[in-house]
Amino acid sequence: MIVDEFMTSKIETIRADRSVYDALEKMVDKRIRYLLVEFEEKETDYGIITARDLVHKVLIKNLDPGEMKVSEVASKPIWCVEKGADLREAIALMAKHNIARAFICDKEKIIGVLSMQDVMAAVLVVRARGENDS
Amino acid sequence: MILKKILSLGKKEAIAMEGINRHVTLLCDACWKFNTAAEGRNRNLMQTVIEMEREGDSIRREIISFIYRGAFLPYFRPNLCRFVEILDSVFDYLQDAAFNYLIAQLPESIETECNRVAYLNARMCEMLLIMLDALLNQADLREKKLAVRIYEKKIDDIKFSLIETVRKTPVADFWQGRVLADFIDHLTLISDGIEDASDYLEIISMSMRA
Repeated sequence: MIVDEFMTSKIETIRADRSVYDALEKMVDKRIRYLLVEFEEKETDYGIITARDLVHKVLIKNLDPGEMKVSEVASKPIWCVEKGADLREAIALMAKHNIARAFICDKEKIIGVLSMQDVMAAVLVVRARGENDS
Repeated sequence: MILKKILSLGKKEAIAMEGINRHVTLLCDACWKFNTAAEGRNRNLMQTVIEMEREGDSIRREIISFIYRGAFLPYFRPNLCRFVEILDSVFDYLQDAAFNYLIAQLPESIETECNRVAYLNARMCEMLLIMLDALLNQADLREKKLAVRIYEKKIDDIKFSLIETVRKTPVADFWQGRVLADFIDHLTLISDGIEDASDYLEIISMSMRA
């Protein structure tokens, strides 16, 4: 099974120079766990900011999210698999780098994201199709 | 097993089940054709999807007449007929989506996502065929049913994002907007119909085991 089948193509983004408060607001408002961070220097330069980053790097330490920039908290690089790649390739990448989501890229452009939830759904479908031994 | 008896006892039952199998297979073919036509922007191929609905209609009539000519015990018949009627409504959605595709001016902003829905519809229909096969082989339907629900949820998520995007897209006049809205509606209703059909397959399976 290819990754495109189960990826989520709607990806919320935030610019790296925005405040952490803006990121918090967006994530709570849209009920999502991460934002793709766009750095100004290069169009294809991305990072990621997750709910875990916000809690562990800002909130627990009692830092002011209004005073911090997204770029200070975001993680880089992001990990990508090519469009049309096999699901197992994405799972291996996620396991190797201990990440919760892999981005799906068409050359340098990000076209989707595959989360743990998507992987679980995909594995169940693979089982139901009887393709799990291939 | 009642199911084994049902399928081995009568010729009529076997013919009716073979008809149902043909009906689902045709639906899968139509979904794949729709997907290929949309991805390749092939209007002639899209036209054949519309024609396949008529073929589906004649198979439906054939199955229902067989059922009411005495195939299966009377208490099975309503569920089997309902299943076939649901498949027919999926053919209708597919036909409407194909027709709207031919007259709509699809904005580039939604084309990729619409093609994704078409692809997932076809994969979901394949799953329904696998489920029917499992029913005929008296296998457990649980995993298959879950897979159908997973596909449906995925398509639902895309649908909301499509509506959000299309709301911000300017249209030339009322009819262009209407056709576009109808296209998205029918394209995303296909998966609802397939999910309903899978529910009925489960009901049929349970009633045959009772």
